[in-house]
Amino acid sequence: MRKPTHKKDVIIVGTGIAGSLIAKLLTDHVYSVNGKKFIHRTAANLRFKEILAEIDFESVKKLEHLPASASYQNEINNSKDRTHKEIDAQAAKKNIDPKTLENRIGLELFKTYFFLEFYHEISILMYEAGLEAGVELDSVSSMTNYTEYMRTFYTQEAKVPNSPYPNLKQAPSPNVLDVAQITPPFPDKKGYLVQFGPMAFASDAIRVGGGTTLHWLGTTPRMLPNDFRLTEKYGIEINKPDSSDKSPINWPIDYDTLKPYYEMAEFEIGVSGDVSKQEYPIDESMEEYYGNYVFPMEEIPQSYMDNQIIKGLKDTSVKLNFEEIQLLLVPSPQGRNSAPNLRYGNTKVIRAKYKKPGYSLVLDDSEKEEYKALGSIWNPYMGERCEGNASCVPICPVQAKYNALKTLKKALYKINENDNLKRNPHIEIKAQSVVYRLSVDQKRISKVHLRRYTSKEKTDFIEEFIDTSDSIVILAANAFENPKILLNSKYMVTENGRQVEKTVANNSDQVGRNLMDHMVMLTWGLFPEPVYSYRGPGSTTNISSFRDGKFRSEFSAWISPLDNWGWSWPAFSPGSDLSEFLGQGLFGTDLKEALTYRLSRQVLFHFEIEQLPNPNNRVTINNQYMDALGIPRPVVHYELTDYEKKAMEQAKLASDQMFERLGIQDFTKYNATDPNTTVYNNVRYSYNGAGHIVGTHRMGSSPDDSVTDSYCKSWDHPNLYIVGAGNMTTLGTSNPTLTLSAFTIRSVESILTDLEAHF
Amino acid sequence: MIITNKILNVDDYYFDVFMSISQALTGFTVNELQSTGLTETYYTYILGNLDAGTFVEFLTVSKNVLEKSFTEDQLKNAIVSEIVMNPGMSDIADKVITLWYLGTWEGAYINDLSYQEGLVWNVMNAHPPGAKQPGYKSWAVEPVNSNS
Repeated sequence: MRKPTHKKDVIIVGTGIAGSLIAKLLTDHVYSVNGKKFIHRTAANLRFKEILAEIDFESVKKLEHLPASASYQNEINNSKDRTHKEIDAQAAKKNIDPKTLENRIGLELFKTYFFLEFYHEISILMYEAGLEAGVELDSVSSMTNYTEYMRTFYTQEAKVPNSPYPNLKQAPSPNVLDVAQITPPFPDKKGYLVQFGPMAFASDAIRVGGGTTLHWLGTTPRMLPNDFRLTEKYGIEINKPDSSDKSPINWPIDYDTLKPYYEMAEFEIGVSGDVSKQEYPIDESMEEYYGNYVFPMEEIPQSYMDNQIIKGLKDTSVKLNFEEIQLLLVPSPQGRNSAPNLRYGNTKVIRAKYKKPGYSLVLDDSEKEEYKALGSIWNPYMGERCEGNASCVPICPVQAKYNALKTLKKALYKINENDNLKRNPHIEIKAQSVVYRLSVDQKRISKVHLRRYTSKEKTDFIEEFIDTSDSIVILAANAFENPKILLNSKYMVTENGRQVEKTVANNSDQVGRNLMDHMVMLTWGLFPEPVYSYRGPGSTTNISSFRDGKFRSEFSAWISPLDNWGWSWPAFSPGSDLSEFLGQGLFGTDLKEALTYRLSRQVLFHFEIEQLPNPNNRVTINNQYMDALGIPRPVVHYELTDYEKKAMEQAKLASDQMFERLGIQDFTKYNATDPNTTVYNNVRYSYNGAGHIVGTHRMGSSPDDSVTDSYCKSWDHPNLYIVGAGNMTTLGTSNPTLTLSAFTIRSVESILTDLEAHF
Repeated sequence: MIITNKILNVDDYYFDVFMSISQALTGFTVNELQSTGLTETYYTYILGNLDAGTFVEFLTVSKNVLEKSFTEDQLKNAIVSEIVMNPGMSDIADKVITLWYLGTWEGAYINDLSYQEGLVWNVMNAHPPGAKQPGYKSWAVEPVNSNS
């Protein structure tokens, strides 16, 4: 056991979108000693320039003259060592007298530390379970590493979402290739998850720098107002844990609360879309829903296939069990670069405004620069526009699709006075560090325990911990890892004179419960004319008609994206088509023609069905099932209810009517051997996972039925935040990344307030 | 059908046979196959991954098929009777076609280029996902007709 490392203000576990957003927003702010509050770095820099202008630099010649307060003496001494080494090295290289250089570098150092006299920096330590190479974000390293991801992707036989990324024994990830039918009571344990079923949880995630945003599709719809009030609007109630008593589903926030933070998330992710073309089946007008607003970038063009389908379905409706539903075909907002929208105006800054007794974040547009698309992390001129690689899942070769490394890089590098990126010394990332347990002392999280493995090949590790009694701890691992760490963390309290064992953050007994995903039911067929699929981003259009409606009291709402990638997902096209035709003895021009006919007409509809929170759908841990580092693996119990199954039946009815109207020859086949399949009203339906792992540390208004408050702060511990998709109380019909980003950004208001006590 | 002269400096009599039968099996001309830049790689890969006797037998049958066919119809019929109807031969033919179309041999990619050079992406008027990107907004219009 090594001695604890130096104290930090904030410990963040995970470098995915939630952890990176918090790291970026915190490092954008400094504590003003005079003002006794946090202010945005740009404001501090401006003020500091004024201070510098009043100083006679001729009198500051030597490092020894630094007017440093004791608290920075350590840092200064380290820095001096570094500086002297650098001076010697540079002097030797350039053949200059070290003294001359010393004055110059000394002055730079002076400025750096003189700044700290007026403004205190927030010190942050981030832990990442994935490899070091994945979080090295200087241009050369990040490009080398990403090129390796691309090479791996090209050579992987099954190009599944996790395929380009390292498959680590020391930090395993759930993988769709491991999903299989379960025969209760025997668990399926061949992958990372231990699945007790009765249904297999079908979605994956990846433990790598930047997290699962590396392979997300990038679709960014907001949630709808009614998604936040299912009980109030539709009378839906769910069971309490281990009981048949019913309880309402309460989000602690509503759509209006989240709206400004949606705008911040859309700015940071860089959303392309057309607000004026958004149509949803909601009671509110679109003016109320979006307000006077445009997305940062123009709409991503809809595919040729979309337009053929829109022609056939526009202004028609489908009839479900008890109502006619008008078809609305909407261009999807996406976190993918197009051309900046001139009406969006200049670039923005997410800034904390002090308002007694805390902070509120605002999207400040006092910046002078116009908004620009942000390209790849190694070269901002690459990926400034989507180039139509058509491989968003699993990897965008040019990073025109947003991923969290872009936000993480903004945390690690700040722009200095010469407009150059400079490494921010107050944030540190330790990779290959698997956090597995928290300790508690007097309610506070007092230690974070981790195992740091030393190489990709070996499972040797170094046991470490960090003292966090004076820090804020933020779990941002993902909706499997966060509950796993919490459930693995026990502490003792005295209640009524007896020692009782407790689980961290789990007084509500909700940690690990309410695991949700979208059931992705796919239907596929051949369009009567060529539509030339396999081109463009994964999905550029969705049918929003079923995202809300009276039917939600009976069965799930769903969103229906049209998919641009042929039958590759459900039927493993084009390889399967080739095998089929070879089996028929086709070769030469006959084969070529058969393939051309089949592959240019393939269409795929996709029904993303909302799952309700269910306390029995849960992640637990069990000492029988450990990974290679001796850390518990997530043990999953998971099932569907009739609420979701009935939606599959209704979605298939909708699909049938749309196929008929479009003249699509239906090739949809659901087999008893499919990994995720169910029979409802004597009809079989199969589905896939959406990659939307949510709900396992829900937020709420009361400590009785939720793990965190609306700012993602644990009810049970004053210095613990738990962030990510796990906070979602319900799932709605949106891809969860935008929503989790919005409330994660909002959580920074509470984190800043808590941090004031440290300064 | 006349076997073309050696195009690559491959010191192997059967290489031209391999290319000519590949043309007949895939529906792509020798020149189009050449443009993948993988002809030699594929040929030597098969040599290393198939029992030599079996491959030679396949090439010998192919050579006979090519030499005795003077029209496209004759060639097609000869391939059906000598290769498609012969289980051992048709199995190798399928593997060769799959190699050109998908870039895989028994399910595995030969290298990172073989995925990108799969002919299947050409016949669907698209491109391999993650490579040869056609550019912004290209997906919004009908593709350029590659058969013109």
